Amino acid sequence: MRKTAWISAGIAALAFVGMVDAIYVALHRSRGFLLPCGLAGGCDQVLNSPYAAILGIPVAWFGLTFYLTTAACALFALFGFEEALRLSFALVSLALGFTVYLLYLQAIVIRAFCDYCLLSALVVTLIFVFHLWSRRHSRGEEKT
Amino acid sequence: MNRSSDTNSSSTGKVKRSAPARRSLARPLTALAALVVVAVAVALFLVKRSGPESSPAAASSNVASPEKPVITTTGWSKGNLSAKTVLVEFGDFQCPSCAVARVKVDTALKKFEKDLKVVFKQYPMPHIHRNAMVAAQASEAAGKQLKFWEMYEVLFARQNEWVNVPDALTFFLKYATELQLDVEKFRQDMLDGEIRNKIFRDLLEGQVAQVRSVPSFFLNGRMMQSVKSDAEFEELIAQAIRTAQ
Repeated sequence: MRKTAWISAGIAALAFVGMVDAIYVALHRSRGFLLPCGLAGGCDQVLNSPYAAILGIPVAWFGLTFYLTTAACALFALFGFEEALRLSFALVSLALGFTVYLLYLQAIVIRAFCDYCLLSALVVTLIFVFHLWSRRHSRGEEKT
Repeated sequence: MNRSSDTNSSSTGKVKRSAPARRSLARPLTALAALVVVAVAVALFLVKRSGPESSPAAASSNVASPEKPVITTTGWSKGNLSAKTVLVEFGDFQCPSCAVARVKVDTALKKFEKDLKVVFKQYPMPHIHRNAMVAAQASEAAGKQLKFWEMYEVLFARQNEWVNVPDALTFFLKYATELQLDVEKFRQDMLDGEIRNKIFRDLLEGQVAQVRSVPSFFLNGRMMQSVKSDAEFEELIAQAIRTAQ
């Protein structure tokens, strides 16, 4: 398997983890019950804050849309549509910016951290790193 | 992946071996569909697993151990006030989940009208909900005119009107007028030290009982944890009622 294919598969796998995370939070919240929160302990503080929704839409749904699009791009790239990674890179760059904003809100404004948000931040960062790796690899191929 | 591309090329016979592989939309779309289905299945499994099992014995484990501090049953109450089974809610009027929980509590109360007492205790979280404290004060001030539950209904039902406004008091005065309260008394009561003390007493009680988020429910003094559905919530109450009888 080509290196780009490995990278695409890695991005798809990470997007899968992100999707599970977003669906899990969305499902729990839609029922109005408390979310189990083991590590950071502030899930309900974060998810009940005014920042947990944008224009009335829970942030988890935005996350789900992002991960779904990223998974689609990665799978298309895996099956020969490598230009899809460009769209994915643009999206993950935006998502990384948004992630930094969400981390700022948790650390400074809400003063509580949510496990699921932290997991999502890690996944977005890793997807970004995979993209950087992919682009470096592509440039290396162009030079040779 | 590459192998099948080569096969496609060689099967046509006209395409050179080094030519770009024919790209089909079917495979990535199928893979994406599979990925989504598996993701939904895993998430559903985790949601189910994070909640309790469906057997009554396991369901009772949702109620925290009796070593936890006992919650008092005084406060704003409804249902059968002399019922042996008491459901205490620590709530915040600005919390969206509390607004959702209100419907759940009302449904349970209708179902167990004769055997259940519901108590609401204030647990405003002003550090994340900027209008929560003033909303708690408004509900208590309405309570001084015997209309706590009426204000409770209005505050939750019309939560989206006042949660993000800089001057929520304007809305609360409007609600007081609609509820035919003595608005001037209501305004004065809101600033009353006695009301603030009552809110802080509720907050302190919640903190001692390890309330960390809202809404938090205590059934006969024990915290209900990880209840995953309305049906299970009602089942736990039904079980507590059966035990009390």
